[in-house]
Amino acid sequence: MSPRRIETGGRIDRLRTIRFTFDGTPYTGHAGDTLASALLANGVTLFGRSFKYHRPRGLLSAGVEEPNALVTVLRGEVREPNIAATMVEIYDGLVAVSQNRFPSLAWDVNAINQLGGKLLSAGFYYKTFMGPVFGPLKGTRFWMFCEHFIRRAAGLGKAGIAADTSRYERMNAFCDVLVVGSGPAGLSAAKTAADQGARVILAELDPRFGGSANWSGETIDGAPAADWAARTVSQLEGHDTVRLLPRTTVWGYYDGNTLAALERVTDHKEVPGKGEPRHRYWAIRAKTVVLATGSFERPLVFPGNDRPGVMLAHAAERYANDYGVLPGDRIALFTNNDSAYRSALALKKAGAAIVAIVDVRPEPSSEMRSLATEAEAEILSGHAVVATEGGKALSGLKVQRFDMNSGLLSGDARSIHADCLLMSGGWSPTIHLASQAGARAEWNPARQAFLPPKPTQQRWIGAGAFNGSFSTVEAITEGRGAGLSSAGGASAPAALPDVEAAPGDPNPAPVFEIKAKGKSFVDFQHDVTAEDVRLAHREGFVSVEHLKRYTTLGMATDQGKNSNVPGLAIMAEALGKPIPEVGTTRFRPPYSAVSIGSLAAERFGDLKPERLTPMHDWHLANGATMYSAGLWFRPMIYGLAGETIEQAYVREAKATRESAGIVDVSTLGKIAVQGPDAAEFLDRVYTNMFSTLAVGKARYGLMLREDGLAFDDGTTWRLGEQDFLMTTTTANAGKVMQHLEYFLDVIWPELKVHVTSVTDEWAGAAIGGPKARAILAACVTGTAVDNTTLPFMGIVHGQIAGVPVMICRLSFSGEMAFEVYSGAGYGTHVWEALIEAGKPFGLVTYGLEALGTMRIEKGHVTGAEIDGRTTARDLHLDWMLSKKKPFIGSAMMDREGLIAPDRLQLVGLVSLDNLPLNGGAHIVAELDETNPHDSLGHITACCYSPALGKHIALALVEGGKARHGTRAFVSDPLRKRFGPVEIVSNHFYDPDGSRMHG
Amino acid sequence: MAERQSPERLSPLEPVFHPGSHGNFEHGVDVILTETRPGSILQLAAWPGAEKQLIDAIRKVTGLALPDGAGGGVAGDGKAVFGFAPGKFTVVDEAEGLASAFSKAVTPAIGTVTDLSHGRTAIRIAGPKAEWVLAKFFAIDFALPAFPIGAGRSTTHHDIFAQIQRTGADQFDIYVFRSFARSFWKALCHASEEVGYEVQ
Repeated sequence: MSPRRIETGGRIDRLRTIRFTFDGTPYTGHAGDTLASALLANGVTLFGRSFKYHRPRGLLSAGVEEPNALVTVLRGEVREPNIAATMVEIYDGLVAVSQNRFPSLAWDVNAINQLGGKLLSAGFYYKTFMGPVFGPLKGTRFWMFCEHFIRRAAGLGKAGIAADTSRYERMNAFCDVLVVGSGPAGLSAAKTAADQGARVILAELDPRFGGSANWSGETIDGAPAADWAARTVSQLEGHDTVRLLPRTTVWGYYDGNTLAALERVTDHKEVPGKGEPRHRYWAIRAKTVVLATGSFERPLVFPGNDRPGVMLAHAAERYANDYGVLPGDRIALFTNNDSAYRSALALKKAGAAIVAIVDVRPEPSSEMRSLATEAEAEILSGHAVVATEGGKALSGLKVQRFDMNSGLLSGDARSIHADCLLMSGGWSPTIHLASQAGARAEWNPARQAFLPPKPTQQRWIGAGAFNGSFSTVEAITEGRGAGLSSAGGASAPAALPDVEAAPGDPNPAPVFEIKAKGKSFVDFQHDVTAEDVRLAHREGFVSVEHLKRYTTLGMATDQGKNSNVPGLAIMAEALGKPIPEVGTTRFRPPYSAVSIGSLAAERFGDLKPERLTPMHDWHLANGATMYSAGLWFRPMIYGLAGETIEQAYVREAKATRESAGIVDVSTLGKIAVQGPDAAEFLDRVYTNMFSTLAVGKARYGLMLREDGLAFDDGTTWRLGEQDFLMTTTTANAGKVMQHLEYFLDVIWPELKVHVTSVTDEWAGAAIGGPKARAILAACVTGTAVDNTTLPFMGIVHGQIAGVPVMICRLSFSGEMAFEVYSGAGYGTHVWEALIEAGKPFGLVTYGLEALGTMRIEKGHVTGAEIDGRTTARDLHLDWMLSKKKPFIGSAMMDREGLIAPDRLQLVGLVSLDNLPLNGGAHIVAELDETNPHDSLGHITACCYSPALGKHIALALVEGGKARHGTRAFVSDPLRKRFGPVEIVSNHFYDPDGSRMHG
Repeated sequence: MAERQSPERLSPLEPVFHPGSHGNFEHGVDVILTETRPGSILQLAAWPGAEKQLIDAIRKVTGLALPDGAGGGVAGDGKAVFGFAPGKFTVVDEAEGLASAFSKAVTPAIGTVTDLSHGRTAIRIAGPKAEWVLAKFFAIDFALPAFPIGAGRSTTHHDIFAQIQRTGADQFDIYVFRSFARSFWKALCHASEEVGYEVQ
């Protein structure tokens, strides 16, 4: 038997022993234990070191609010820091280590920080390290010296650097009623709503449903509360319309009643099931939400309240009743309210000796006196704890007479021997989600707590302790009411539940702090003391928001779950104002820590979406090096053994110009533009005329944005009187589609035009070069491909290898070229047939690098030049600006700034030093390597031109054509490339188009 | 060059389509994944006011009578149709050549016919956990009362546009762009591992 495990009781499975290690020491526990309960059962009192002072810390709580016992859980190489030991379910092989200590938890050299308490008070960093150097130990430079040491000493656990191999998933859920929390209120709400036929989701952050019913020791309707909870859960399981989510924390409340939740699916398992995610992020869209999130017990603020062995009263009760663990043999309690008496009795029943109940109130009620008598506990009413004793565990405490009205201590201190001190400073409803949902919390002077606001924009109903209704009868009654109303049921008089519970007044005495000598902690996790709060006040901080940021009160992983209200109370007292006037901070999501993995879910690595052309696998099988173009993957080169990228693209481009080349152009955006007004529509969206285009012909078109700048270009094919196939650049396909849809839906709804993305319907292969026509002639049936039948920009229909194809004669490479379109499912089939037919003619496959090279040689523009800043005139496309009709952008394209003579215009560049040019390099009139200045423009695209045997580039340069034939320089200081260039026409190759027209 | 007759359409899923049981199937297979490979997938779109005529045309050509209401649809006998946007419908047929049948029935006065038989890939997910797996992908309420049999929905998964038709109590047909189909399929298999899946 472990030192602190009691022989009976608790809901752990004593037949199952679990083995785990903490800081390398092997321990055992039972199935159902948390790391906290199992270590406590093994007699461990020291769980961590505090953030700033490295003070020894034990368990404060038994739940998600735990500020002290933060551990790092190791799984192989992956480490996850800052997990509350109270939330870690043990499993065989669990490896957990403590954090923020060196060399060990028991002997931590940084505990010396405790001696420098004054130095490390609120605002220490701002005061010490900001501003100019002033003396040897001040200022920013001093920070730069100290930073390394401070960062090592202060803080929480260390993040791992190994890649997390766990799997995370996202789930979408819809329901009529989402019930958050499964204590008596939540269970009652879920059951009532489900009985009304509503679709219900019940989310519980603990592994077991039931909340306080599991450890309250009460009876409900004649059965132990835990049995009542289990029975209700099994009834809920019988409903098809109910989804039960254990280990699920609802952490965010967003607009439209959308809530975010984190389900810890396999954290408690030694090995996850096949395909099981570690966490699921649930996006829950609920018609109504029932908030039954309970409440947190508050610590009291007094000297030594952070010593290991000082714990919240209900937490000890829960350890005893839920886990069969007693946190001490001789237990004292310190309280300002009645609930601690119930805890005292529960612990007495579990086997502990209750040595004293220290109550700040002068006159506890007779009911409380009876409970104390039953617990065989001495009541020290009108007293307060003023000190605790011990090192890494509690050995005793000192109490003194206390006047709760004046806050003054009097008389001699009395020592009490105890190994555990439980405190209860009243209860704060867990109103985080309601706060996120919109409205400001309201202070309730009777409960001495912020109660949830009234719902404003969102549809939620509160129930139970969340509302400040702390008794189980109220919880069940309100839960039923909330369930009924959220399911839209008619109010039926339900019999009140029969609950046997210890009596108690829900209202505490308004005592938050005992002022005595020594460090009294308000925020345990960030080591913020009562004196820090007062210091902030003395230094002029009056807003609660500033107080929070200056002292760091309520920050870190627990987000002030324990500390907010005591901190505010101390600040209010310092300001001489009532608490509601001081106000409270608004809670923000997340309620508790959320794994980044769960937010990223499956959108990374292999599961990131990719777009593949119909011939993708052929490219891979035939030596293509692929690269991504947006989401698309396209061949860069088809390299031969030993070839560099440049050698490969030069070979491919050269071969294409000498015989023929073929490239996959399936990625081009393709949009079906159909309807009686299709031609009129195209006249409006393109700068040039399309209504005059004959059926069976294609035309190159340019689009402007509404502001007159160039937008996109491509060819559009007229397949029928009312049927056009528009092609766009690969990169702009989506944008153009949106642009067209916007104009049809919003600006010209009267036009009868439908636009549909048919990019994926067609596989496209562009075949170009002097032998291209001969290759087509060798494999195309059903149509001729001669110059008469298929002139430049003509379209024919035929077959290749039994597959219907559509062929348009157009050219991007400057060679005589044809685009062959087939149904995408036949893409590879047609591609292979073309390759086969091309073999006798020396056909090569080429990739984007060769494509880019040939388009640069030809001077065609792409997205590198249509970059959102250039006009049609800048790109020498003014011949395409129709004067016979208005079009999108025509009203704005002649603005002064867009026709200014000093605009950057498209030119060609030839490297005069025969060295490669770089994209992005500046063009200057005079070279000054040490002080580059006065850029004339920049390079947009560059390559080695096999056709010219030179390094060439396209560039946007001031003056444009006027500089043709002049010399300038590239100035690229980042890459240290400087050298002379000649500015020439962008049409480097075959400027009169004789090759293309054939 | 000799002509090859009627080549089979190549599926974009080819290299990643592995028939058999996968994932956590030892305890049973909870979803079945397959590619239905219909011969025809069409998009029909009516001009405003001509919706009823288009619905009539669909009934005449396919025999399928569309119910009233947005997203309504019907499936059966190797054919299916559903509305995916106002006045717009996806029509599917096991057989090829549906476009030419509709090109006569849908006159220019009614609307347009767009053939997407190659451009969309049809993936079917069926089984007791189909709703569970799809809930990982789409912010859509898949519960039967909210998404009745025959009905269709337009939605997206990451960057992947998808149309979904419920073709059975626990069966859904998903139409995605062909170029994205392999990514979508891989993600669907990945998501199905947890429940055990069979590729047929």
